[in-house]
Amino acid sequence: MQQRACGLGAAMLLQALLGCQPPKPIGQVVVASRGNLDSVDPVDITSFAGAQLLSAIGDPLYASDASGGLHPHLATALPILSADGLTARIPLRRGVRFHDGTPFNAAALVFSLERFRALGKQSYLLDDRITGMRVRGPYELELRLKRPYSSLAALLSSSNLTPVSPTAYRSHRRSSLRNRFVGTGPYRLVNSSPQNTTLEPFAGYWGPAARNRGIHLITLSNSTALYGALLSGEVDVLLSQGLDSDQQRALAARTDRGLLRQGIGPAVEIGYLTLLSDRAPLDQPDLRQAIALSLDRRLISERVSYGMRMPLRSLIPPPLTGALPPSWPGYNPQRARQLLQRAGYCQGRRLSLPLTVRSNVPSDRLFGLTWQAQLQRDLNDCLSLEISGVESTAAYRQLDKGVFPLILLDWAGDYPAPDVYLTPLLSCSRGIGERCLEGSSVSFGSFWTAPGLQQQLEKSEGLDGQARTRLLLEIQRRTARGGAYIPVWQVAPRAWTRPGLSTPQFDGSGRVLLQALSTHP
Amino acid sequence: MSRRRHLIRYLTGRLALVPVMLWLIASLVFLLLRVAPGDPIDALLGTRAPQAARAALRHQLGLDQPLLVQYGHYLQDLLHGQLGNSLTNQEPVTSVIGRSLPASLELGLVALLIAAISGLAVGFSGVARPEGRLDLAARLYGIGTYALPPFWAAMVVQLVFAVWLGWLPVGGRFPATLEPPSGSGFYLLDSLLSGNSTQLLASLRHLLLPAGTLGLLLSGVFANALRLNLRRALDSDYVEAARSRGLSERRVVLGHALPNALLPVLTITGITVASLIGGALLIEVTYSWPGVAFRLQEAIGQRDYPVVQGIVVVVAALVVAVSVLVDLLVALLDPRIRF
Repeated sequence: MQQRACGLGAAMLLQALLGCQPPKPIGQVVVASRGNLDSVDPVDITSFAGAQLLSAIGDPLYASDASGGLHPHLATALPILSADGLTARIPLRRGVRFHDGTPFNAAALVFSLERFRALGKQSYLLDDRITGMRVRGPYELELRLKRPYSSLAALLSSSNLTPVSPTAYRSHRRSSLRNRFVGTGPYRLVNSSPQNTTLEPFAGYWGPAARNRGIHLITLSNSTALYGALLSGEVDVLLSQGLDSDQQRALAARTDRGLLRQGIGPAVEIGYLTLLSDRAPLDQPDLRQAIALSLDRRLISERVSYGMRMPLRSLIPPPLTGALPPSWPGYNPQRARQLLQRAGYCQGRRLSLPLTVRSNVPSDRLFGLTWQAQLQRDLNDCLSLEISGVESTAAYRQLDKGVFPLILLDWAGDYPAPDVYLTPLLSCSRGIGERCLEGSSVSFGSFWTAPGLQQQLEKSEGLDGQARTRLLLEIQRRTARGGAYIPVWQVAPRAWTRPGLSTPQFDGSGRVLLQALSTHP
Repeated sequence: MSRRRHLIRYLTGRLALVPVMLWLIASLVFLLLRVAPGDPIDALLGTRAPQAARAALRHQLGLDQPLLVQYGHYLQDLLHGQLGNSLTNQEPVTSVIGRSLPASLELGLVALLIAAISGLAVGFSGVARPEGRLDLAARLYGIGTYALPPFWAAMVVQLVFAVWLGWLPVGGRFPATLEPPSGSGFYLLDSLLSGNSTQLLASLRHLLLPAGTLGLLLSGVFANALRLNLRRALDSDYVEAARSRGLSERRVVLGHALPNALLPVLTITGITVASLIGGALLIEVTYSWPGVAFRLQEAIGQRDYPVVQGIVVVVAALVVAVSVLVDLLVALLDPRIRF
């Protein structure tokens, strides 16, 4: 009798546990992604998850859209440049208030930018471009630039440069405030922990009100959990970062059946191969060209990501200026064979190349295996790959030591501008001929440069319009001929929503516009 | 010398070794982290930052100082009970541990409870008929659960009960849309104390899958240990003597054999508790359970030296404390033990 009562009690408890899902507050949206949030202070944030949060609780001076356009946001016009291009005036919006009621003005903006320069982990964003700033009027900021920079508005669209309230951060002028944020964005931060952040619409927001009643940003540690959480209804929106290709494909298939809604943002991440150009055997330009020609991007994209990582033959992802037409040659195994033969391979002698992939990035290994098999099919007597894996942080540490003859890496610009893709990979402050001795090209492991390339890079940063596009394309054509970098694919962020929610929309930096998620689509 | 004096001498000896052991562990972790490839700057900034910015951040975090100086500062802080600040967000490591340790302990204790109840029940079930069907099933259960790879088992359980059936949450410790209980950091305890049934049920729902999986995986050890020790006890002379005095089989088993068979199980429990304090890494990672093991795994990925060092030292100290306690308990319960 007693045993029966115990069993009945246990069954009832289990029933209560399984059947008792807490009700979801109406109008609130749960958004899931991978990657923890260690701090909500713009000076600390370096991750995509952090930038996604900042885009909801903060406001940049300029907003970028998914088609590559830039629009004044907290500014009221694009930067007004002096004749020499070294001073920029930025008129600011009036009537904006921070979440704590402090009025937004030029002084508050200078406070925020100076704080970022002093504390920011990415302070180089400003330090590389700006020598100083001052309040020119209550609602006008003046920036002094190191050299003319046509992507200034894009730089100021970076979420890390979002203004913060001078009142709230007065005692944190020289230290970060990791779990509190007071900005001007459409949402107010209610609370934040590494795994769960709650936002509520800011009633005093100057712009269009958020189309939902609040956001819960949660992080889960693995892709199965993320995928499962969306399917089971535990979360309403799922971001693609950290999600396996198989799962992304399954979600896309569900979208096709009308079970989910899918949004695709602009590609902000590129995958590329770096070739160690100053040491044998890849110091021979013909060999580097042959490798570029041997890569069947379409096949690899299909096998690795079901075509979701789109083939890329430019170091700049579309739709940014200078991305099209592509500068790198397409797949041409016959031409690759000719070049390899000219270099003394194929006639009983096979070039065996060590390809390094990051062992903690699943798509890297798949890329390596697919390319290896493709080369076996196309150029088995000429070229083969030996794949080895290195954990990403260990790989980054050793790039400038020149230990990787051929390595697959990725790159995402800090803001949507063509130079943030070209300059880091190609910049070289000291070089001899085609060998870079000092500069970013060394840090990225290619050690490649070309006479006059640095000057062209610097000149392109100051140009605008067609002149800039022409120069960007010329730089890329030279880089393609040099063959020290080979673009492979571009990664566009995706997001899925459950029925009852609107289709996710993205900004130009690949972040979901959380305020546009409507519960009444 | 009296037994009490022996015990005190034994305990003093064990406790005197604790600081040496902790110093060795702390130094080893410090050294291994620096020897391992990669550094925090790469983990924080990737390849994106220019050399000057990387150097500035390295200086800001004190990583440009000679290794011996860094080691000296580390030991000095440790002696003053300070574990330093996280490199990623400058949060004190004590606060990181204070937030994540209760989560691991809660998971570990509930898992242990599940493991002990189910494992001992299974181990006990085959006693009546050795080599019978039930005994064979108990053996298979013990070996099977012990041999299951934790990561795989956790994924399958998660897939079936959370994704396919949708009965329980896939991960995390509490629903995003509810305010978590505040207080000690033990959600079950806090929600019980506050009398909030919604929080209690929500905490239990989130705990059930990770604790159940971990409990299932550990239960085989208990089942096998009890089964073997109970068999041995039932074959012993004192049980034979009890039977010959005409005692019922129930009294023989429960009153004579079981208490003796449980002593080695107590030692196993101690070892299990000690290992669970550090968290069950794969379970915590699979279920996004924000415990110390989960945090440790993140910190290793970020090369967050102070967090890794802090967690390892605190967990090592707790493991040592638990093992001393278990030794003491076994010694007190078992009069045959000599010091």
